[in-house]
Amino acid sequence: MTTDTTIAADAPLTGTDTLADRLAEVWVELEERLAEVPILQRLAAGTVTLHDYERLLFNLRQQVVDGSPWISRAASNFDIDHFTLRAAAIHHAEEEHRDYLMLERDYVAIGGSLAELRSGRKNLGSEALSGYMFHYADQPNPVGLLGAMFIIEGLGAKRAAGWAARFQEVLGLADSQVHFMRYHQEADSAHTGDLEAILTSGIIDDAAADEIVRCAQVVARLYALQLEELDR
Amino acid sequence: MGSMATAYLTGFGAYLPGDPVDNDGIAARLGGDDPVTERIRRRVLDANGIRLRHYALDDDGEPTELNEQLAVKALQAALDDRGIEASDLRMLACATTMGDVLVPGFASMVHGRLGGGPMQLLSAAGVCASSLAALDAAVSKVRLGDHPRVAVVGSELSSRSLRQRRFDGIRAGMDSHFLRWMLSDGAGAVVVEFQPHPSRPSLRVDWVRQVSLAHEHEVCMRAGMSGAEPSTGHTWQDVDIADAEAAGMFVLRQDVSMLDELADAGLAQFEELVDIGLVDVTKLDHVICHYSTNMFRDLAFDGLRRRIPTLDTDRWFSNLETRGNTGSASIFIALEEAWRTGRFAPGDTVLLAVPESGRFSFAFAHLTVVAPPDQPSPQQQGALT
Repeated sequence: MTTDTTIAADAPLTGTDTLADRLAEVWVELEERLAEVPILQRLAAGTVTLHDYERLLFNLRQQVVDGSPWISRAASNFDIDHFTLRAAAIHHAEEEHRDYLMLERDYVAIGGSLAELRSGRKNLGSEALSGYMFHYADQPNPVGLLGAMFIIEGLGAKRAAGWAARFQEVLGLADSQVHFMRYHQEADSAHTGDLEAILTSGIIDDAAADEIVRCAQVVARLYALQLEELDR
Repeated sequence: MGSMATAYLTGFGAYLPGDPVDNDGIAARLGGDDPVTERIRRRVLDANGIRLRHYALDDDGEPTELNEQLAVKALQAALDDRGIEASDLRMLACATTMGDVLVPGFASMVHGRLGGGPMQLLSAAGVCASSLAALDAAVSKVRLGDHPRVAVVGSELSSRSLRQRRFDGIRAGMDSHFLRWMLSDGAGAVVVEFQPHPSRPSLRVDWVRQVSLAHEHEVCMRAGMSGAEPSTGHTWQDVDIADAEAAGMFVLRQDVSMLDELADAGLAQFEELVDIGLVDVTKLDHVICHYSTNMFRDLAFDGLRRRIPTLDTDRWFSNLETRGNTGSASIFIALEEAWRTGRFAPGDTVLLAVPESGRFSFAFAHLTVVAPPDQPSPQQQGALT
């Protein structure tokens, strides 16, 4: 998926914009918002602390455990006319449903308590994000969720490994303490490849494209909110 | 090859049981006050230079504590020094020459007494260098990112086997007297973490290295067999216990005629560290060397000074004379005292050296003093990570 930043964020949407162009624009907005998130600013500046990393994992975990369930729920709501999407969702849910265990091992490897991690609650942003995802997945044929995948898998593929490397560099962490973020570079790159194939397969009509873009916008905003509202 | 974490020593503890015992107080505890033994003891004490030591024995020579208790007290001191609890540990690596019981392993007993949560254990057996074998395991697991916090302890309670009852009716030459009047009790511990101490300096572990030369040397220090070579059917486990005792198998012995060879081999190992670049003699600030007697201090010191002409007594630390030779605990007891008494400054480098006579093992560790994270020292910027 392109992240071509030559597309201005405020470029008017015209009928000639492809779905890829429109999603790229959402991505650019997300990047701009992420640049304002305090923990990511500290990460970039090299002032991030082990506590920051621990709290990030703690907060992410509470939402990541919901990832496979909302994808599964979406899968169950695709009818037979959307067989390709149902198959993709089932496959994806299966692939992701053990991911949070990796995150939990990272958390323990830096000294965190598994019991505390598992008794944690979602932050304000995670509540909103997870609530929205489950709500959306409940709709018949929730094609718009491809927009959510575009954002979440895109973050995994394009940003997580960079964050992991920077946390390692600043905090002196071993690979086995940043498994979750490192793994997502490979796994989500494969997923974004699958997603791209679907988006360009011709099964997405104009109405579906509008839904996908809208869903991507909401999820981009709520994902950033999740990172902004750590521990709140 | 992926990235590894860095291991730091962040807490230090030592425990020496009872009051220090001076040279005149030894016989009351260990016995051996006949004129011949008395004469041998004076001779050995003159050579080893030890003035004070501790025994986990009361005035009548009866044990006051278990070895595992010494270990736990040193560990507790190290945890207190770091400001953490046993429940914060994920691994415990214990070194001792002889635990209190044959089974289970020493670390299991220490963990059981220390408490805390579930953790990985290592019981490093051997003699003096088992201390750094335990440290090496701890440092390796921390570097791999498998454990955020590990405690390491070296602990010895040899005094109970040095008492007269072990020697009654046994042929005891210099091979046993040398150790009898040299060894004593104590424990030393360190906390190893993947992050430096948040508010005070830490010791970064640059490397740990242990080399055995058993392939080309006979046994030097031993118990549990007659002579220097075990033979099938004739170890302490094979023969009747009474026969084993009568044969003197329960007396710890050392072939003192091999000690010069041991010193030479140890210096050759040090030379190799310099030759392969693990030790930069122009940047080595402190040496903490375990040695059994002052005779070897002079040998080692002179040997090191051949490579480090600027080495002076200020950079050389040992507390053998006042804490005794506590085997696998010695290096940690010395490190704790050097640390606590403020010998080290950020940027300084420290070499730990532990020769083991058992069957010629040599262990070294290289440490660098690092400032707390909010006060980086200039030396840290070029640090290996």
